Amino acid sequence: MVWLPWGSSEKKDGPPKTADGAFEAPNRTNRAKCYAARDAFFDCLDANNILDSIGDKQSVLAANKACGKLNEEFEKNCAHSWVEYFKKQRIVNFQKEQTIKKIEAEGGEIFAPGAPTKR
Amino acid sequence: MAPPCSCLPGALNALKATPLRSARQWATPSARRTFASSQAFVLRTQLRNPIPVNAIKSRASILEYHAPGNGVRNIGQQSQRPFSNSTSRWKLKTIEQVRARNKGGPFNLTAAVLFVASGAGLWAYFSYEKERMARQRIAEQTKGVGRPKVGGPFDLIDHNGHQFTHEDMHGKYALVYFGFTHCPDICPDELDKMADMIDKVKERCGNVILPVMITCDPARDTPAVLKEYLKEFHPDIVGLTGTYENVKAVCKAYRVYFSTPPNVKPGQDYLVDHSIYFYLMDPEGDFVEAIGRNFTSEQAAKVISDHIKDWKGPLNKKDYWA
Repeated sequence: MVWLPWGSSEKKDGPPKTADGAFEAPNRTNRAKCYAARDAFFDCLDANNILDSIGDKQSVLAANKACGKLNEEFEKNCAHSWVEYFKKQRIVNFQKEQTIKKIEAEGGEIFAPGAPTKR
Repeated sequence: MAPPCSCLPGALNALKATPLRSARQWATPSARRTFASSQAFVLRTQLRNPIPVNAIKSRASILEYHAPGNGVRNIGQQSQRPFSNSTSRWKLKTIEQVRARNKGGPFNLTAAVLFVASGAGLWAYFSYEKERMARQRIAEQTKGVGRPKVGGPFDLIDHNGHQFTHEDMHGKYALVYFGFTHCPDICPDELDKMADMIDKVKERCGNVILPVMITCDPARDTPAVLKEYLKEFHPDIVGLTGTYENVKAVCKAYRVYFSTPPNVKPGQDYLVDHSIYFYLMDPEGDFVEAIGRNFTSEQAAKVISDHIKDWKGPLNKKDYWA
């Protein structure tokens, strides 16, 4: 079967699918669209003080209630795996921030791998 | 303490003016030796036994005595060679003049400037050498026997559908990156950085770098997909794909972890976890250094350019696609 990633039918919204049904490798424009939709959805979650939009059922319901439309937009513009990835990443990032804050509050220091040392 | 140092600047001046010659004369005192140098010789022996002030005075009177006589100055007329441009000691008439001249000791502006300049020069040279040696150590760690090897032979297909093996990277420094086109956020950022690095290195070292992206996701990343994807980043980047087995082998050779499932159904949507490093390979195909995400493009370009400048062997400056 010949796989023509760019010859596939362009849908009105969302990342185009290839002949075999997978999402085409997103180009710069598509990625920008996806990031924008993600940021809009996450801003809405922030405003409603919701962190989890994928794991905990109650939170997912709350997220859909508060930001359902933006969530739809997000899922339309990003591949399903990306949506999942970003939603999980949001939780991980939050936990990381909390841990860093906690350590700093206790007077510890964080040695994150920053810029390489002069060699 | 008595002022004994009248001899030192004179000897220094003599040495500064003609170091080689005077050194030779120290070694073989002969009739060719001029008055000035023999005087310095005498004074030097005096310095070994510190002399009291009255001795200096008497020496000054000797100077006075000798000075007017032209014949005394030079033992042999043919050896009339000035040792320095400064006022000769025998022209100084009194002990006050000698003292005034020697008051500053060997320290004057010229000496200070020379001292600081040579110090700065040495410091710059040694810090440069230290950096170069550190780079060389990194570059040579992977050469030779019994070292952990990164990289090695592979057999893949480039984004134009042609065969591409490890031999195609020889002659150029290769910058190898592993990724996949469906990568959500990190790979595009890293590829943008890679493009920046390529431009900076090319600007500094010429067309000696071959950037390569090897996909970890051969099922979805066909040559055509890679071509479309990579042209948005940099025209020089060569996209490589191949069979699942070949890709797995090259990932193993480069110690790259990846989590691509071996049998994916058409249309399946998934992400691939993989290590994020740029691998710099030298023109002989040996691993030089891994560049992590914590490097900015500027820092990475510096590391790469420095390694390229250290390279003594032949470099292929032709365009890959030419």
